[in-house]
Amino acid sequence: MIKTVIPVGPFHPLLEEAEYFTLTVDGETVVDIDLDIGWMHRGHEYLSEGKTFTQSIYLVERICGICSTSHPLACAHAVEDVDNIEIPPRAAYIRTLIGELERIHSHLLWLGLAGHFIGYDTLWMWAWKYREPVLQIFEKISGNRNHYGMLRVGGVGRDVDPDSISGLLKILDEIWRKIDMVAKAAGDDPVLKARLKGVGVLPKQAAVDYCAVGPTARASGLPVDVRKDEPTDAYGLVEFEKIVLRNGDVYDKLVVRLLETLESIKIVRQCLEKLKTTPGPILNDVQEISAGEGIGRYEAPRGEVFHYVRTDGSNRPIRHKVRAPSYVNIPTFAASCKGIPVADVLITLASVDPCYCCTERAVRMVDSHGLPRRIDLSKLSREKTARIRREIHE
Amino acid sequence: MLDKATFLKEMGARIGRRIDKKGRLYFEVAGENLHEVVNYLFHTMGCRLSTATGMETFHGLEVLYHFSHDPTGQYYCPRVVITDKKNPRSISIAPIVKGADWIEREMSEMLGITFDGHPRPERLLTREHPKGLDRPLRLRRPS
Repeated sequence: MIKTVIPVGPFHPLLEEAEYFTLTVDGETVVDIDLDIGWMHRGHEYLSEGKTFTQSIYLVERICGICSTSHPLACAHAVEDVDNIEIPPRAAYIRTLIGELERIHSHLLWLGLAGHFIGYDTLWMWAWKYREPVLQIFEKISGNRNHYGMLRVGGVGRDVDPDSISGLLKILDEIWRKIDMVAKAAGDDPVLKARLKGVGVLPKQAAVDYCAVGPTARASGLPVDVRKDEPTDAYGLVEFEKIVLRNGDVYDKLVVRLLETLESIKIVRQCLEKLKTTPGPILNDVQEISAGEGIGRYEAPRGEVFHYVRTDGSNRPIRHKVRAPSYVNIPTFAASCKGIPVADVLITLASVDPCYCCTERAVRMVDSHGLPRRIDLSKLSREKTARIRREIHE
Repeated sequence: MLDKATFLKEMGARIGRRIDKKGRLYFEVAGENLHEVVNYLFHTMGCRLSTATGMETFHGLEVLYHFSHDPTGQYYCPRVVITDKKNPRSISIAPIVKGADWIEREMSEMLGITFDGHPRPERLLTREHPKGLDRPLRLRRPS
């Protein structure tokens, strides 16, 4: 058997972050995958030990440009967990509101990228077009389209203007109609189903073994959702469904995210309605954090974000552990990529929504004759979709 | 449903000093009991390993695993205390929980802890680092 090794990464102008995959292929079939991380190790855990708790929240907000609510929320939860600090009801609704808005825009971002990877550029443009109003809502609420700076230990730092709520609800109705249309169009498309069903399957047992989280786990039938398992903030006060499917393929991961986006809009609506009628402070005055340890977590769009802090009674942590969801989801590639065609690798890698889903190009170092040759994973993936489309329509 | 009371009844004799908080149970485990406790948490109770935290203390090093019991939202955190700072060793749980593979490799290179029985004891984050970092999270505290 002649094996070909395909390195993917670590640096490429199109990669938003640096990662390195080594695919070993036999013909067109992947027989092994190895992962190499650490190219962007920034030392956040060490940096946080030199910051106050409030500064740490700002620091972890910069870990990820997309999850810039999830990390601060988990960090605040961890510090609050040390002393079982409660937050005011109005702050709870605001936290849940911005957390769910983040989920909507993150899932739409992923939907667009996934569409692009398989040659559905219309889906890509739709998804990103309808993501824009979500960012505008963020701008109205927090003043920023990203890195909102809303979180504090004991609550939030900025209130939602009650006069703006009816306008925000109107924007939300428009987003609902558009996303519902996209969800139905995607669900009815025979080519999309043929292209994604049965591709990159992560079996439930593998999801358990690798401790997968988020839509990656829920698409495989593992009902892990921090919002339901340990409801914090306003998650115990709003109604929504936990979306769990069972096939574990890319199609189910797509459906989980689409349905979750609609559930998130429901939650955002409930939070905005409650904010009309829930007056009160948005921040409890927390004077000091005692010596101890605390665990905080939040269901980010990609899955559970985990923070742990150890404190000594001063105003800063002596240890701050951060674990993002991609850290446990990326190793599942070892289970989902083996045995699949090279043309399906790109969408399988992208299906867990890693932070570096722009890994669309690769260089094949040698072919079966030992000669250097360039291949384009994105091109392969899009060609396969075009082939399926032709077969279905003929 | 298996809960905290059942865990303490079954594993109480295997664990040491514990801190019991709302939704959190931190407890010390001796190296020889670690696999039995982790097996019970992962296979019998169906807990999920969120991650693990390694840290240096004034008395040595410690490895704190964070197991989430999702049906109840309870965290079980076995703590392995290592007193030998010069040659810190612990037992790997990666043969039981695949999800511990990366985090044990990370703790190993960040704190210099050797995890006996780890299936792939290689550097994870600093393999290609231009300066060849050596136990960066231990540099600030004298041993």
